[in-house]
Amino acid sequence: MTLPHWPIVGRRPELEVFERALGSGEQTGLVIYGRAGVGKTRLADECAGQAAAGGHPTERVAGSRTTALLPLGAVVGLLPDGPVRLGSDGQVNAVALFEQTRQALHERHRGRRLVTVADDMAQLDAASLALLGYLAAQRAIFLIATVRTGEPVPDLLIDLWRDGRLERIDLHDLSRAHLDTLLHLALGGPIEAGAGREFWEASRGNPLYVHELVLGALESGALIDRSGVWHLEDHLPASSRLLDLVEQRIGSLSAEARSVVELLALCEPVELGYLETVAPAGVLESLEQAGLVTITVTDGQVRLAHPLHARVVRAGLPKLRARAVLLAQAERLAAGGSTLGRVELRIAVWRLDAGAQPDPAALVRGAQLARATHDFRTVRRLMEAVPSEQLDAVGALLLGEALYELGAFDESERVLALGQELPSSENIALRLAVTRAKNAQWGLCDPEKALAINAAARAVVTTAPLVEELVADEASVLTFCGEPDRALAVLGRTTGGDQRTRVVRAIAGAVALATAGQTAEAVALAQAGYADHVALGDEPAIAHPAMHIVNQVFALTEAGRLAEAERVARAGAEIVAFQRVPIAQIWFAVNLGRVAILQGRVVTARRYYAEAAGLAQSSRFAGSRRVALSGLALAQAMLGEPGAAAQALAERAATPPFGFLGPEQRLADAWTAIASQRPGDATEAFRAAAAQAAATGHRVAESWLLHDLMRTCGEDVSGRLRDLAGACDSALVSARARHAAAVRARDAVELTSAADQFEALGAMLLAAEAAGSAAAAFSGAGDRRAATAALRRSSELAAACEGAVTPGLFHLSTVKAAAAAPLSGRETEIVLLAATGMASKDIADRLYLSVRTVNNHLQHAYAKLGVTSRAGLAQALGSAI
Amino acid sequence: MTPEQITLVQSSFERLGPDLPAMTALFYQELFERDPSLRPLFTTDMREQRVRFAQKLTEIVQTMPRLDELLTHTRALGARHVGYGVRAADYQTVGDSLIAALAGLLGEEFDAPTREAWILAFNIVAETMLEGAAAARPIGS
Repeated sequence: MTLPHWPIVGRRPELEVFERALGSGEQTGLVIYGRAGVGKTRLADECAGQAAAGGHPTERVAGSRTTALLPLGAVVGLLPDGPVRLGSDGQVNAVALFEQTRQALHERHRGRRLVTVADDMAQLDAASLALLGYLAAQRAIFLIATVRTGEPVPDLLIDLWRDGRLERIDLHDLSRAHLDTLLHLALGGPIEAGAGREFWEASRGNPLYVHELVLGALESGALIDRSGVWHLEDHLPASSRLLDLVEQRIGSLSAEARSVVELLALCEPVELGYLETVAPAGVLESLEQAGLVTITVTDGQVRLAHPLHARVVRAGLPKLRARAVLLAQAERLAAGGSTLGRVELRIAVWRLDAGAQPDPAALVRGAQLARATHDFRTVRRLMEAVPSEQLDAVGALLLGEALYELGAFDESERVLALGQELPSSENIALRLAVTRAKNAQWGLCDPEKALAINAAARAVVTTAPLVEELVADEASVLTFCGEPDRALAVLGRTTGGDQRTRVVRAIAGAVALATAGQTAEAVALAQAGYADHVALGDEPAIAHPAMHIVNQVFALTEAGRLAEAERVARAGAEIVAFQRVPIAQIWFAVNLGRVAILQGRVVTARRYYAEAAGLAQSSRFAGSRRVALSGLALAQAMLGEPGAAAQALAERAATPPFGFLGPEQRLADAWTAIASQRPGDATEAFRAAAAQAAATGHRVAESWLLHDLMRTCGEDVSGRLRDLAGACDSALVSARARHAAAVRARDAVELTSAADQFEALGAMLLAAEAAGSAAAAFSGAGDRRAATAALRRSSELAAACEGAVTPGLFHLSTVKAAAAAPLSGRETEIVLLAATGMASKDIADRLYLSVRTVNNHLQHAYAKLGVTSRAGLAQALGSAI
Repeated sequence: MTPEQITLVQSSFERLGPDLPAMTALFYQELFERDPSLRPLFTTDMREQRVRFAQKLTEIVQTMPRLDELLTHTRALGARHVGYGVRAADYQTVGDSLIAALAGLLGEEFDAPTREAWILAFNIVAETMLEGAAAARPIGS
């Protein structure tokens, strides 16, 4: 008994979806989800078959454990035949290769879209996925992808699907009626009732299961045709597992058939012409009839019918036997005299899978491809397969960078230091030094070592543009260890340079300038750096291009352009989350936290900082984690949660010191002291941090620290803030100075203007506080109407602050309390000052009253508010907000 | 299908006898009630359409036991229906309408086993018609 054709049943609506998608011209693909054996592969092939019947060229790519070992291993069939073009630096340029592939496909198929089945997407390597994504986006292919339920869905599909360019089909098991139809059509006639029921109960409508059961039962003679009706003479196999079933079928093959199946499982697709020379006559036919292999007529390629068959065969294959098969095939292709193209890649995959040593050059090229898609795991795996005595300087650079990116900082240091001992071009020597310095600074948190590495490299790197880059990199180390003024001085010594140097200089310069208060120049430099970087392409040893966007966000924030900063940061964060660039993900989150804190959205800020801390922990960037934990503590303290803030600080204490944003990090200590009713400690922390900021050129941070000192402890800092406003071009720094001057003058109108300015910047918490001070000043001046209006405004602004609890907002709870038991104007004024922790004597001095009077007022206020002490007062006011 | 189910389909169909035109009329009534948008697909005179439908149905029921012969009919029929703009989802509506019309005419004789047999028979016909339709409709680019 042979089966003419295993029919496809119950999938017509899905096939129509495919037809519409392919015909629409808008869609770039179709993804078929479903559990093993539900018929994804079959449906995908049926779609391709229909497309072929309509005159479309078709191609099939399939991932496996074998092909996943080398970048582009799964899609060799799509690659151009000729050698891969290399860039001027002798490296593989992925973007150029993708474009070369697209053009070759375009020519080969005369502009028609290649309908490409990508079976078992989860098994494809990152580079293959990137190529498919590129080709689909460029409309060179129409992608039909299958994804097994429970396996990860590649980002590429999510991306296409989100853009509405991908149809999605969820495939389910067949209904009883469809199963019945399938059996009827497959067997060519009716089946006895009991047998039909047994197939249903065993398979529950899983098509592959039915397929295996029927073919198995036919082979064993359990299912037989008696006068036109099918009968089951024996029970179906008892196993309930599909895998067992497949194993049983494969296990019953003849030796010749089995060796063909094994060859296919390891190396598919294999050319029909070759198989015919190695397999005895009739074996291929019998395998095709048994539904185990499929032969594509158009290109004469033979494959196993289902990925599950390949999985089962490979799992059951003794290692030595697999090795022999793979090596024999590698020899066969190598004997054909291949060059750098797809064949070579395939040989490398097979040799690697055989456990044999592939050509190190192929591994390095593979690693470069993987690097181009930021697949650092694959880079590491491939480069670690190169024997250490064969590792050259270029290889050390690739491996060292991957180790750094993967958080293996000590190993990265070892490999890069070793690479510096090897002979190399000056260019590679520079990159080794720069990468090693980066690892020392960001990974090992040792900026001194980074500077020493940079200085030592001057001995080997001596030609003009390369030296310029080394200088720019020194500036980068200085910027990110908290020395912006020194960084700017170093940058001042460099001029010109090539594109690459400009890119490196932009990374250091944008942040140093923004930190020092030259925000407009900083924004422009970050933008120019990004444009240069994109034009340059993604090169080893420089940070990811997205870091320029991070820097732009930082510069916008320092300029007080908060809404713009937030918008850019959100867009950037989405891109890097998609591309999985941990360092950029961390810093977008930190910057979103900073923006939120300045906007007064403290709960949002807490969320972003916590996210950044979590990302930094999982990617092992301890210094970045320290900055994130500082932000987290700051947000907790501003929410009036000293316990949680202290806990974040305790976690931070376990990380090494990290100079970047050093003064700003100390905001956390000061605000935690405020939240814990330790104003003395807070004042000390603010002052020390501001002094550090002044000494190193952190002008914007200094203004933040001093302004917060005024907000929380009532210190007059207006003089220094005015100087800083003059030295910076930041609207935020100017607004702080204006606020401080107005507070000092107790000028209600100026305080209102300061509130306006903060509100215009989107700094709602500061606006609310300034409006509150204005209310107190109006009240003191006897203008009750203006005072009431200012209070109302303050309360409205504070509503946007997500429950912030700052001393500057205490007046609001006073207002609420006053609604129940009104405080007099004088009482309100005194309570507001007392709530900041100011001593009675200082309040008396400030308001030209006697201490005794102040205490009397306070006692009355305590009675009205139901508290007995100053601490209780702050507590009551705080929790009432 | 089991041989018994094929017999059930055939015997219940025979029992319709002179009521076949009435069943056919009821079928179209059910069909257009379920999906009025199908009405414009029928451009020929409805009386003639009913006769043709009855003929085709009779042929199909008679060839039910001989699959090869049945498939020749249904695939060709499906290929013809491509031109009418019929889609996979429409087959479901047609099947439901046919079952309802048979139930309407056969009354109590249309019991659960008979109903199940007809559903399976229709499913085979629909699947193979769709197969014929797909083969006849090479898709555009």
